[in-house]
Amino acid sequence: MDQLDDRVKKEILDHTKDTPSALKDDIWSQIDQELFQTKSQKEKKRKSKIIPIAIAAAAGVMILFSTQTESGNAFIKQIKDMFVPEKEIIQSIEGNDEETNVNLQEGKDSNYIIYIDEDRYKLVPGETSDIITTKEPLEKRYPEVSMEIKQYTDITPQEMVMTLETDLASEYTKVTETESVSDPVEGFKLHGISGSEWNSPVTNVYVVDNLKGGSFVITEKYFLEAAEGHGARFYAMLQEFKIVE
Amino acid sequence: MLWTKLFENSQGIYSEGSEKAYMNDDILEDIRNGSRDAFKQFYDMYENYAIRTAKAITRNDEHAKDAVQEAFIRVYRNISSYNSTLPFDAWFYRILVNECYRILSKEKKNTPIDTSTMENKEQLREHSKENLSDLYSMIQNMADIYRIPILLKYIKGFSEKEIATILDLNQNTVKSRLFNGRNLLKTQLELLEMEGS
Repeated sequence: MDQLDDRVKKEILDHTKDTPSALKDDIWSQIDQELFQTKSQKEKKRKSKIIPIAIAAAAGVMILFSTQTESGNAFIKQIKDMFVPEKEIIQSIEGNDEETNVNLQEGKDSNYIIYIDEDRYKLVPGETSDIITTKEPLEKRYPEVSMEIKQYTDITPQEMVMTLETDLASEYTKVTETESVSDPVEGFKLHGISGSEWNSPVTNVYVVDNLKGGSFVITEKYFLEAAEGHGARFYAMLQEFKIVE
Repeated sequence: MLWTKLFENSQGIYSEGSEKAYMNDDILEDIRNGSRDAFKQFYDMYENYAIRTAKAITRNDEHAKDAVQEAFIRVYRNISSYNSTLPFDAWFYRILVNECYRILSKEKKNTPIDTSTMENKEQLREHSKENLSDLYSMIQNMADIYRIPILLKYIKGFSEKEIATILDLNQNTVKSRLFNGRNLLKTQLELLEMEGS
């Protein structure tokens, strides 16, 4: 670094150094308020909503056992009725918070529910799995964009992860180490990518315990440039994935 | 923006201020888990240079405060989308710089600064002679395509590669802008000194 560089650096640092500690404290106070104090208040509010849901569930159980006329499916339907049909979520798209309306969808054989951004996506029920894909078909130049939800009733999450690790390694050039995650779902996450071009295929596979000795496998497919778009939207929708026991 | 793409092939240790203070995986993990203490620790490590950078870019203490505040909030809310195998500082400073741009454009009711389309406008801004009475004023009167890379280089010591990542530019573009910006400063200084002698 020569004399000019030293001089430029000194000038800039001298002109930006006077930050009163009160300002730093003030900024932190605002951040703290926004992120943590508000969060605590929201959590308190959320907790207060648990009671009516519990009462509703208890009522459902009472009706079921007292009348003995409703089928198991009806009971499941009753539980699903406890979820609001439509709600607004806030998702982060390319660093900006976006308010999105999502709609309740019932998964295959009523085993799970998920909320879908129906302005952009649709759930297509299949023989063995459900596929969430773009409402409007993408042009041919784009790789597949989809999120498949499939249940394996007799394969535990651990067994499933081992199989998927092998499958992904043969399909993608780079597969990262499997990790345990708690968000967007509680389970395991596998990630594969082939290349670093805008259209390089990317996959995220989540393995979730179905609580009956089996697994749900959720396979997201998109392309590198869509990571902050479709990737982020899949992530937000998946946060609303709930298994119906 | 596509962070996974931006940070591919990036290497190195990214430290804030000193080598003793840098973002480590434990703090990141705790922040991901919602720890207020970990986030405060991160804030204490990064606020100094974040405020310096924002003050220099926005040229306004109040705007700098807003930009820094919003940048930290965005980092917390988007931490789940950050890939920890990639350099954290570039991710953080990209968010901060974008916040500065956003506040500046909102304040001035101008379109956001798009450095990628300004390649052919390589002149210093129109300026009065008194604005160039010291080196800092000269820097602050430069066009943003030179000013921002220079500020990032000299405040935080970012490399050309890191600046390219933060500003989403080709590394050669950054190299060229730093070179030309530095030459412009040198010329201005020489002129000033000739006039003064």
